[in-house]
Amino acid sequence: MLLLSLRSLRRQPARFAASLLATFLGATILMSFASLLDTRVAGAVDPDSAKTLVLMASVVGGWGLVIVLFAVLSTLSLLVSQRAAEMALLKSIGATPAQIGLMVVGEALAVAAVGALAAILPADLGGGLVVHLLHNTGQLAPDVTHRFGAIAICLGFGITLVAAGVAAVLAARRTTRTNARDALLVAATGQRPVPRARIISGVVFLVAGLSCGITTAVALRGGGVETMAVGAQGAIFAAIGFALLAPVLLRAVIAVLAGPLRVLPGVSGYLTERNVRGQLQKMAGAVVPIILFTGISTGTLYMQEIENSAKAMTGAVQTVADRNTETLNLVVVGMLAVFAGIMVINTLVAATTFRRREFGQQRLIGATPPQVLRMVGLEGAVLVFTGVLLGSLAATVTVFPYSVAKLGTFAPDTSIALYLAVVLAAVALTLGSSVGTARRVIRTPAVAAATTRI
Amino acid sequence: MDGPRHAPNSHPTQQAEAVRLVSVRKTYGAADNPVVALNNVTVGLPAGTFTAVMGPSGSGKSTFLHCAAGLDQPTSGRVFIDGAELTGGDETALTKFRRQRVGFVFQQFNLLPTLTALQNVALPLRLAGRRVDLRHCRAVLASVGLAERADHLPAELSGGQQQRVAIARAIAAQPRVIFADEPTGALDTTAARDVLGLLRQSVRQGGQTIVMVTHDPVAASYADAVLFLADGQLVGSLTRPTADAVAQRMARLSDEVARRHQVAVGV
Repeated sequence: MLLLSLRSLRRQPARFAASLLATFLGATILMSFASLLDTRVAGAVDPDSAKTLVLMASVVGGWGLVIVLFAVLSTLSLLVSQRAAEMALLKSIGATPAQIGLMVVGEALAVAAVGALAAILPADLGGGLVVHLLHNTGQLAPDVTHRFGAIAICLGFGITLVAAGVAAVLAARRTTRTNARDALLVAATGQRPVPRARIISGVVFLVAGLSCGITTAVALRGGGVETMAVGAQGAIFAAIGFALLAPVLLRAVIAVLAGPLRVLPGVSGYLTERNVRGQLQKMAGAVVPIILFTGISTGTLYMQEIENSAKAMTGAVQTVADRNTETLNLVVVGMLAVFAGIMVINTLVAATTFRRREFGQQRLIGATPPQVLRMVGLEGAVLVFTGVLLGSLAATVTVFPYSVAKLGTFAPDTSIALYLAVVLAAVALTLGSSVGTARRVIRTPAVAAATTRI
Repeated sequence: MDGPRHAPNSHPTQQAEAVRLVSVRKTYGAADNPVVALNNVTVGLPAGTFTAVMGPSGSGKSTFLHCAAGLDQPTSGRVFIDGAELTGGDETALTKFRRQRVGFVFQQFNLLPTLTALQNVALPLRLAGRRVDLRHCRAVLASVGLAERADHLPAELSGGQQQRVAIARAIAAQPRVIFADEPTGALDTTAARDVLGLLRQSVRQGGQTIVMVTHDPVAASYADAVLFLADGQLVGSLTRPTADAVAQRMARLSDEVARRHQVAVGV
């Protein structure tokens, strides 16, 4: 079975491109920040510098860990679910669940190892950039030099491989638990109930996020680093919670949107509603990176805005150091947001490419290419609406309590332009990658697309 | 060569040709060394008939179907469906031309997995922006024996049932011609017999026109006439075919083609 998995990797490298990209970028971010810990333990580092390095590695690394875990989990689940038919076939010719599990986990680990290996050099450069910025902002003594060593390698490889392994086990278990006939049925319909454990952990994370928010607003008023750390944690936990609950929440959203969608002229609204309802989990997989993108960007950008307002309220002029810290924050947030953004593209391109046959079928029974593209666009709109809605809700768990703690007011007196920019970026990423991919996919003649078995 | 004129039960006003190909040629590959898939095919298929198209592998059966159905454009020659000429245009124009005139039934059942049987049957009408008469769609589903299964998803239906839904979908849109590509290729003998019986019934009773590509002499025996293709050319036809007669003709044809190829390469 392990031989089979290595063979399928060699034969169909394109299939694994999405997982490889996710693990590569994820490992890059993880190792960039983990290398700050290498820098810390490498030699004589003064206490202030040491504190900066550890704080930076743990706070930013925390967000990084979350989105990397989710990215790896969601792309690997996508990969496994796209191969549901192949696994059902293996099962029907006599593969045991353990054999299939071994094959899927073997593939995932191989992909993760290649991704992490490729990430070493970029992560070394990324860590160096962060240290350079810390030097510039005076938060790190000039004599501290960046090191990339065992901690970065261990954490980077360890987390990436564990995340990939866990994702593969979870995804494979979903396929192998069902019997052979049901596996074929699930492969055809893509419908299975949302596991209870997923719902419970989603609720737990939401509650944890809310309590972080309440703690920030009530107990940490005017505090320093802890306020920022706990405050930021609120949005992180809430975003994880929403991501876990995405299939359930998407079902609620589509139930509300069903009316407006049916009123739309033409057949696209009708098909969109049926497709989202009929493939909730696949669609929810595409919503997750949008939630994370919106949550991270909105949460951290507005924390910085509130920080600036708080400074302005006390009458203090922003010092060079403050401005540098702001730059540093924005660079770090930028890295994470870019990663989440790439995951939005990655997931949607992979998912849309896989629909080649479906688009071919629709065209054979009379859908024109513009009709197919309108349907894909509408689906994208539903996904981005849901993702932005949930991501924004997650961000409020950080933004409003932080505003109460720092400014003493619920609604910060900041511009809405930043938020609108985040939403616009999410919309552009989602529609650009889904409609763009669909446009490319439907260039295949309809009859060829409909009769191939991917 | 002219195609079969024989149309036992069709109404006199339906004697017009549903499909006509005039000197259709289709080549693939480089201009200096083209592969000829269809070589100067001229044929007319009367409305209200059930025609099977047969030939050895590589004879151009699929290309014939794709060109006649407007899925692919011939390199030269003209194609008429229900008297209207298929002219070049973009994919949108071609789709609109097809959906007014043509229905398809393929080997793989090609139902959309998220739609129920009934919704699948109604979809071509919705796509064409036509008023959807669900009673009519239900009646068509009932006529293929699936009244009870209207609200099931494709994954909950057997292969034979899925193919019957696909036939109902093609019939419900009332196209001028239904093109079927190995419609029984993935079915067992009993399900295949049901499906072929349904196709023949829609011709005899509904006046439907059907063109079916198949490699199975038994399937071909359900048709009013069989056209034989070899090396991209029409090489014969058989009216009121029996499975035995078709099988014999196919065996002869395969031998001839093999001999011709041996001569061509100088063996």
